[in-house]
Amino acid sequence: MALKIEKTFLVQEPIEKVWEFLSDPRQVAVCVPGAKITEQVDEKTYKGAIRVKVGPSVTDYTGEVQILRSDAQTHEIEILGKGQDVRGRGSASMNMTGKLQALTNGGTEVTSLSEVNVVGILAQMGARVISEVSNILFEEFARNFQARLQQPTQPPQAQEGTVGEPKPIRATSLAWEATKGLFRGKS
Amino acid sequence: MARKQLVRVKVNGREREAEVEPRLLLVHFIREVLELTGTHIGCDTSHCGACTVLLNGKTVKSCTLFAVQADGGAILTVEGLIKDGQLHPLQEGFKEEHGLQCGFCTPGMLMSSYALLENHSHPSEADIRWGISGNLCRCTGYQNIVKAVQFAAGKMAQGGAK
Amino acid sequence: MIHHTSPEVGGMGHPIKRKEDLRFIQGKGNYVDDVHLPGMVYGHMVRSPYAHARLKSVNTEKAKKLPGVLAVITGEDLAKANLAWMPTLSYDKQMVLATGKVLFQSQEVAFVVAEDRYTAADAAELVEVEYEELPVLVDPNKALDPGAPVLREDREQKNNHIFHWEVGDQQGTDQVFQKAVVKAKVHAFFPRCHPAPLETCGCVADFNRATNKLTVYMTSQAPHAHRTVFALVGGIPEQNIRVISPDIGGGFGNKVPVYPGYVCAIVASLTLGVPVKWIETRSENLQSTGFARDYHMTAEIAADRDGKMQALRVKTLADHGAFNAAAQPTKFPAGLFSICTGSYELPTAFCEVDGVYTNKAPGGIAYRCSFRVTEAAYLIERAVDVLAQELKIDPAELRRRNFIPAAKFPYKSPLGWTYDSGNYEAAMKLALDKIGYPQLRREQEEKRKQGELMGIGISSFTEIVGAGPAHTFDILGIKMFDSCEIRIHPTGKAIARMGTKSQGQGHETTYAQIVAQELGIPAADVTVEEGDTDTAPYGLGTYASRSTPTSGAATAMAARKIREKAKKIAAYLLECSENDLEWEPGKFYVRGTPSKAKTIQEIAFAAYTNIPPGLEAGLEAVDYYDPPNLTFPFGTYVCVVDIDKGTGEVKVRRFVAVDDCGNIINPMIVEGQIHGGLTEGLAIAFMQQIDYDESGNVQGGSFMDYLLPTAVETPHWETDKTCTPSPHHPFGAKGVGESPTVGSPAAFVNAVVDAVSHLGVRHIDMPITPWKVWNVLKEKGVTG
Repeated sequence: MALKIEKTFLVQEPIEKVWEFLSDPRQVAVCVPGAKITEQVDEKTYKGAIRVKVGPSVTDYTGEVQILRSDAQTHEIEILGKGQDVRGRGSASMNMTGKLQALTNGGTEVTSLSEVNVVGILAQMGARVISEVSNILFEEFARNFQARLQQPTQPPQAQEGTVGEPKPIRATSLAWEATKGLFRGKS
Repeated sequence: MARKQLVRVKVNGREREAEVEPRLLLVHFIREVLELTGTHIGCDTSHCGACTVLLNGKTVKSCTLFAVQADGGAILTVEGLIKDGQLHPLQEGFKEEHGLQCGFCTPGMLMSSYALLENHSHPSEADIRWGISGNLCRCTGYQNIVKAVQFAAGKMAQGGAK
Repeated sequence: MIHHTSPEVGGMGHPIKRKEDLRFIQGKGNYVDDVHLPGMVYGHMVRSPYAHARLKSVNTEKAKKLPGVLAVITGEDLAKANLAWMPTLSYDKQMVLATGKVLFQSQEVAFVVAEDRYTAADAAELVEVEYEELPVLVDPNKALDPGAPVLREDREQKNNHIFHWEVGDQQGTDQVFQKAVVKAKVHAFFPRCHPAPLETCGCVADFNRATNKLTVYMTSQAPHAHRTVFALVGGIPEQNIRVISPDIGGGFGNKVPVYPGYVCAIVASLTLGVPVKWIETRSENLQSTGFARDYHMTAEIAADRDGKMQALRVKTLADHGAFNAAAQPTKFPAGLFSICTGSYELPTAFCEVDGVYTNKAPGGIAYRCSFRVTEAAYLIERAVDVLAQELKIDPAELRRRNFIPAAKFPYKSPLGWTYDSGNYEAAMKLALDKIGYPQLRREQEEKRKQGELMGIGISSFTEIVGAGPAHTFDILGIKMFDSCEIRIHPTGKAIARMGTKSQGQGHETTYAQIVAQELGIPAADVTVEEGDTDTAPYGLGTYASRSTPTSGAATAMAARKIREKAKKIAAYLLECSENDLEWEPGKFYVRGTPSKAKTIQEIAFAAYTNIPPGLEAGLEAVDYYDPPNLTFPFGTYVCVVDIDKGTGEVKVRRFVAVDDCGNIINPMIVEGQIHGGLTEGLAIAFMQQIDYDESGNVQGGSFMDYLLPTAVETPHWETDKTCTPSPHHPFGAKGVGESPTVGSPAAFVNAVVDAVSHLGVRHIDMPITPWKVWNVLKEKGVTG
């Protein structure tokens, strides 16, 4: 079950500041609801976890995040995240390409192009819902991303290990939004 | 495990009660606690209607309700249709018109038809088909079930036992 | 000759009401999930989310610690008892619980046993399984490619090829094709679908340590065969196993295979010494139990310019999923698919089938199709329509030109079958008259001028059922005879037991009617029992429309043996010679003096109270019937559809079904079977498919996506019949349960294609969803 998601949003911060944030998986992970980076393996590889709760169903994925490609000149980054459900109920992977564009007003346009692949029970029952859930996940990510950038920056080392329990994505509201979304049409 | 709760219901005219987990489905309550196995389970997505019963006069899919939600209510199951050894006209109709083959959907069909006839004493074929559209059958193709309901409607209109 | 019986006796031809209905209409059926035994516990299966993966570890510690959990069985545990794998009905083997790797999404990985179902389900969530994903193979067309992942590492042959089967004259057929002036070809896919009986599969396995007896209440269409399989696989002495198939909520072939859930429940009961209940959910049923079809077929017909068919060439790719768990007679890996020459006189034909493995649920079984006959009938009926379109000959006329004439029966087909009897033209004529065919064609012409889309589809199918003669048919070595045992009581009532097992076909009524016909004992006085292997005579069960042709025949033969003995007793009572006696249902009388008679009831009483010297007491008989041939029911179905150009929705305006199943026992029951089968055919043609995405995720794994028609979608079925008895069956009957599912898909598809054939469309694959139709219309520029 492969899904393509494209999202564009604006951040009122200069491009270099946004790039510094975007090119650090630990900073990015903080913005993804329910996610955390647990360990850095080498300069391009990290271990992480994400908890996705949809309704009463909780799925904990653990896996790896790899920076496949990072170009500070063109402000483009490609990240591959792969995880397996700890209870053996499936797997998910996401290949995301993030691109930055400087805007004339001093802000930055962030474009993300992702391909999400889900295998397992979720891919059967939730096939229609998965794309809506992914959309909402990205919207929340974008909101968090903007919010964090507009805050005073915290040194990256302090992030690792002190993130604490990943905040699970709000269950019922997520599913409700997703189902509503099916009827209201893409926003 | 959540603490058990007391559920009190009137089932087919009899007062029954039991302590159950809040997550116990009504269909399991009926089949296993009350030991009325006429109500069946045919799916896990609320589509098939084999679990249809009447709760407070309305048809419900008992697989999609918790037993605790029925507390204080009145339930009618297929076992409650027969009165003093007399078959309900619907039960007669299913037999007369060959409205069943394997019998698994039959209790649900009977309960949905029962509710239909409560609201439509002279249902058209379309009314009947819509009335049982929440009940799936794999054996009969529905044609004789429609005839069975028409038989019952006819008999009840003549003043047969309701 | 078939005597006439009164309605009170209820022999052949009487539409008597069903005897079994009384308990069902009161909710007093006894289905497997209704069985409740003291001390009973519950099993729940843990299943694989991956279509293809190495099984790295199964951690059951947390699950075992949950209060109320009695056991968690894994593949490794079963392997110690040599039970991790079990044989399938196709001489392949299947994993009971996975070891080493998993091969399809929803495959069984571990079995949890707990005091109640909810705890069992909770514990199943606590089982932690580690997998390593492997590349997935879901396209059968790629299964034999050089780089394709090898699924079955347990086989010697390291590829995904299961079998190659062929029949007919390849050389002769190829030669005809080389010279043919007209050739029509169609590639027809019969999608993977599922019988989905309303009751899912399940069992209660009860091993009693005090008696060493294992009783298995089971959703089984073939209880004796299952008992023997359990004995051979489990090493349990067969006399200590009792399989009871109580009331079954629909089978349609889904309840013929042995599923891992049954084996696990049995193992759990043997281990724990208490009854273990396992009932699968609907999703489990759709995702892991016997699917049907999944045949990728190509048919070519060579013909002359008048449409007279000269040769048929068929090539098929069969997708069997991860294990070949198909239930078919040993010599026929593609079942009776070679009936694909259909109702037509063909000088030569060749058919080949290749079976492959994919990462999908194992199978396939005969879903109400007598071993692949649906696939065959669909293929030939589509191909004939394509030929008609090619030659611009009316499809009814083309069929007429090619039907095997009534005078040519018994007819030997070029693929080896001897059809017992048939009169295809008569059935088609009745159907066309009933639907008003010429007027419909005129209406179609008018509508086309106005740009409206209306189609008429014909399917003139021939079925092949009643497997089967011992010289050709066996399943796992057991010959496909069937049986009946009848015992008449002193008061003239009777009990009859058979080796078949009804799942809604009305055997408690129809078999009683056969006894009523042969002996004149009222059907109401005959109790019929099936399904308990401790009491019923050995049989191969009910599927493939075989009950009437085999056990029905055995019932007649057993009754005739009783009649022979009854004659002796009557002669003794009437103090005359047997040669002086005449029979009419219910009594023997002296020829010329009808008042000197003895009723069957009087004879029965005498069998216990006034026994003729030299004769044993009692009045009973057993018959094991080896059918001399299969039977060939047939018919013509005509379907009229209207297509909405705006939405692509197809509305079935009318459907006429003319069936010929020879002599009929109960016309009311036959009609019910036709209604049900046509509805299943409708579902298959328009709304059902179990599909897999490229990662092997099941699409169509619950009723959200696998659609069953409700009373609203189902049209009104018009039924009629012709009667061409089977010359070799004791009372000329043929069996009919599967005809409607076999014959109808082609009628629906032919109608839809016919509606757009003037736009150049030659074929549309099932399921014919509105989306698919709309896309065809868009392509042709005619959407509304």
